[in-house]
Amino acid sequence: MPTRRLILKTGLATIAMPAVLRSQGAGAQGLSGQITLMSYTGIFQDNYTKAVVEPFLAANPGVKVNYAPGGTSAQMVGSVRAQKADPQIDVVIMDVTTSSIGNIEGLFEKLTLAEFPVLDELLPEARAAGGEFGPAVTFDHLVLVYDTQNLKPPLTKLADLWRPDLKGQIAVSAPPNIQGLALTAMVEKMEGGDYRKSIDAAMKKLKELAPSINTFEPNPDGYSLILNGVVKVATGWNARSQLYGDQSSGKIGTLLPPEGSVFQINTINLTAGSKNRAAAAAFVKYALSQQAQKAFTERMFYAPVNAKAQIDPKAVARTAAAPESRANMIPVDWNDILKVRDQWNNRWRREVIAAAR
Amino acid sequence: MTASARLPLLLIPAALFVLAIYAWPTLLLMRNAFNEVGPTGAMVEAWSLKTAADTFADGFTFELTLNSIWLSLSATAIALALSYPLSLFLFRTDSRWKGLLAVIAIMPMLISSVVRVFGWLAILGDRGLVNGLLQSLGLISAPLKLVFNWTGVTIGLAESIMPYMILALLAGFGQLDRTLEEASRSLGASPFRTFMRVTLPLSLPAIALAAGLGFVLSMSAYITPKLLGGGRVFVLATEIFEQATTNTNWPVAAVLAIYTLVLLLALLALSNVVAKGLKR
Amino acid sequence: MSYLELSGLQKRYGSAVAVDDVSLSVAKGEAVALLGPSGCGKTTTLRMLAGLIEPNQGMIRVDGSEITRLPAHKRNMGYVFQSYALFPHMSVARNVAFGLEERGRPKAEIARQVEEALAMVRLEGLAQRRPRELSGGQQQRVALARALVIHPSVLLLDESLSNLDAKLRDTMRHEIRSIQRSLGITTLFVTHDQVEALTMCDRIAVMHRGRIAQIGSPEDIYERPATRFVAEFVGRANALPAERGSDGRVTLWGAAQPVTAPVEQAFDIFVRPQRMRILPLSEPAGDATARVTGKVLRNVFVGDHVEVLVEGAGGQLTVEMASGSPVPPEGSEVAVVWRAQDSLPFAREAA
Repeated sequence: MPTRRLILKTGLATIAMPAVLRSQGAGAQGLSGQITLMSYTGIFQDNYTKAVVEPFLAANPGVKVNYAPGGTSAQMVGSVRAQKADPQIDVVIMDVTTSSIGNIEGLFEKLTLAEFPVLDELLPEARAAGGEFGPAVTFDHLVLVYDTQNLKPPLTKLADLWRPDLKGQIAVSAPPNIQGLALTAMVEKMEGGDYRKSIDAAMKKLKELAPSINTFEPNPDGYSLILNGVVKVATGWNARSQLYGDQSSGKIGTLLPPEGSVFQINTINLTAGSKNRAAAAAFVKYALSQQAQKAFTERMFYAPVNAKAQIDPKAVARTAAAPESRANMIPVDWNDILKVRDQWNNRWRREVIAAAR
Repeated sequence: MTASARLPLLLIPAALFVLAIYAWPTLLLMRNAFNEVGPTGAMVEAWSLKTAADTFADGFTFELTLNSIWLSLSATAIALALSYPLSLFLFRTDSRWKGLLAVIAIMPMLISSVVRVFGWLAILGDRGLVNGLLQSLGLISAPLKLVFNWTGVTIGLAESIMPYMILALLAGFGQLDRTLEEASRSLGASPFRTFMRVTLPLSLPAIALAAGLGFVLSMSAYITPKLLGGGRVFVLATEIFEQATTNTNWPVAAVLAIYTLVLLLALLALSNVVAKGLKR
Repeated sequence: MSYLELSGLQKRYGSAVAVDDVSLSVAKGEAVALLGPSGCGKTTTLRMLAGLIEPNQGMIRVDGSEITRLPAHKRNMGYVFQSYALFPHMSVARNVAFGLEERGRPKAEIARQVEEALAMVRLEGLAQRRPRELSGGQQQRVALARALVIHPSVLLLDESLSNLDAKLRDTMRHEIRSIQRSLGITTLFVTHDQVEALTMCDRIAVMHRGRIAQIGSPEDIYERPATRFVAEFVGRANALPAERGSDGRVTLWGAAQPVTAPVEQAFDIFVRPQRMRILPLSEPAGDATARVTGKVLRNVFVGDHVEVLVEGAGGQLTVEMASGSPVPPEGSEVAVVWRAQDSLPFAREAA
């Protein structure tokens, strides 16, 4: 499936292209009623509401957007699946690994260029992420999160995880969590391998890491465990880590490992059979517009998907769109990984987690 | 119609209610067990036993079953050992603080399990209360691993089922009468003999009730194993949750859920038979 | 020669005094009743004897050795509880065997003794029953057999008949008394029922507010009550308000009586209703006979006797007449007479 393969490494180069600023999606004629947007809760909801939902509401005073926190991506696709006969959710933003399930099951609509001209402004890999369905709306990547105050010397590379002073100080989200899947691919690459062929090297190396791992299931998340002093290092997502870093006055440090990282993609999806399709489609258009992409990237450091969005270089530097980030990305096709997820999951349980008991 | 013949009619509203809120969702769940899952996780509508066959062919399912039973047995045993003396005291005390003490004993029930788990992290963590105390006393040099493993889950689970077991014990102590213990003492039995011959046998029904409840609650608990297990504790309940909410694999989740339900019913039936045998 | 001796026993709960100061000597084989209203401390006294409550002060001695602080299970006392306290999870035979098993007796001996004890209380065929399958009277007998089979030094019965119906109570009263006599076992009864106390015991200790008000034979207690409380509590009594002249002679209902009273303060004369007789007004009373006059208000037929309610200058009184004897018509003026020696003066309590 070459169209679905997300070779983001080269594609993001186009991001610096000057864009023509124009209002998109906003102010469409005669829109009214209510739509329900489902996505992550917590700081994602707070920031997405401020940066995207509220401006959309200002431009469309007749529309009301109900933001429904949906839990994990899998729970969100589950909600849509359960309501297939009578959809209550109009737009969903979730991880590409689960939206692809919804696409196959016919839960979401295909989006046409004729109706959504904004698709033409998107990076090729953003459109490829959804195929004919809803495209990527944010890019993020896996980082190492660490305690800048209590970790001396600071973390500089992925291989530092194996430092003896980190014994019992690491929180890792094991598979089936996608952080664990991403980490597996990263460690395999660090060991000179390729996850598409084998993860034997990664398993061997991770098994050595096992005694250093405090928890394989950080709750509520790795950032909080570092802030509470439970661990010193965790795996995490760049955008959230950047934001927590700002909120904690620098206690949380974010490291993009020089050995490489993996993109995480959120797609925006229009529910098949939406009861207020016009307003829902308008919201999707707005979410992908230059204006919304700029606002959200500058607020929460997710890399933009709209190639024409003109974003503050300081914000870009902290996202996956920054040149030094792009250079380090491992090309990953999440659909390939999904197929081996159960197998990786089992190997983690038997080889890595078992070694840490 | 006689009054007794009309009686079943009165049950119809309740029966419909149970059907709507319990039986119908259970049927929907069962339906999912016959579906299949595509290679990337998409569900394929089907009437097949392939998912069930694959699930039971996987040795991990057997491992999960043993883990669940072992965890439930040990948590129930610990909780029983702690709640029995406590309940006995609460049942008997004439203190005017009795009401307050009872409320304190079942208080954990009123606290969100998430908050409770964070409490345990503060107590059992590497830099928690227990390790801090042991280290300052010089008894250990490196912190003991008390959390994010089986130990932590067992402790946390035992604590979380205790309030329910205390209530069950208090409700089951009906036959227990102070005078019977006094009669035993007056007949020459020491306090210990009195406990063994009178108090304990008479509280067996309460113990059976509480242990059954504790076991069922432990088997179905997933929050505690998930939050205190550190990803190292795999039981049926966490696997069902994981399959449903991380893997989007409803068919496997449904198969495991039905399996767990059947397993619980079978174990309860077995314990019933054993209890009846003991009584004889 | 006393076998069981209590001296200066006291039990307080905080500031509340349950038993104030109880001293009592019981001879071997004697049956003594602790009689009193609820809350008088009689059950507390019994429980201290059994070792179920520890006294704050005082001493208990059995057969010469002090047992005040001895734990209950080492006292070897047979206790029959008001609720019988049979073990619901054991058969009748196991209930009776319990005390012997705790004493480590050989199996064969236990079996024989249990059989004998059940025969004694006439429950031979019910050994394998569960307590809940027995009637109240049968449960009572099991409790008795269980307490007696251990050959206790003292048998303690706590309101043991109060849960039985009137007819059964009568039967059990005689049965227990005859067993007690034939075994010659020293026994302490706690009861609030004076008939029980009067019929079952050699001596009665009337308790009032944590103390023994009077101790004596049933006849002593009934005929010669030592205090106003005993006179009121045991049997029925008319209390006639009395005045005392300068010569020490007593005036009742305005009539001078051939009765003297040593009491200085305000007092009443107590007379048992069955010691009074009714005479026509015209018939004179004898020298040693007290006499008041009044009008018959009402006659109440109670079966074995008739209660005649008479109202006079000083209030009302009740006369008991054997049923069958001619009763005065209601409304008639009559004289009520009794032997002067049946007048018992008691000081009026300060209200």
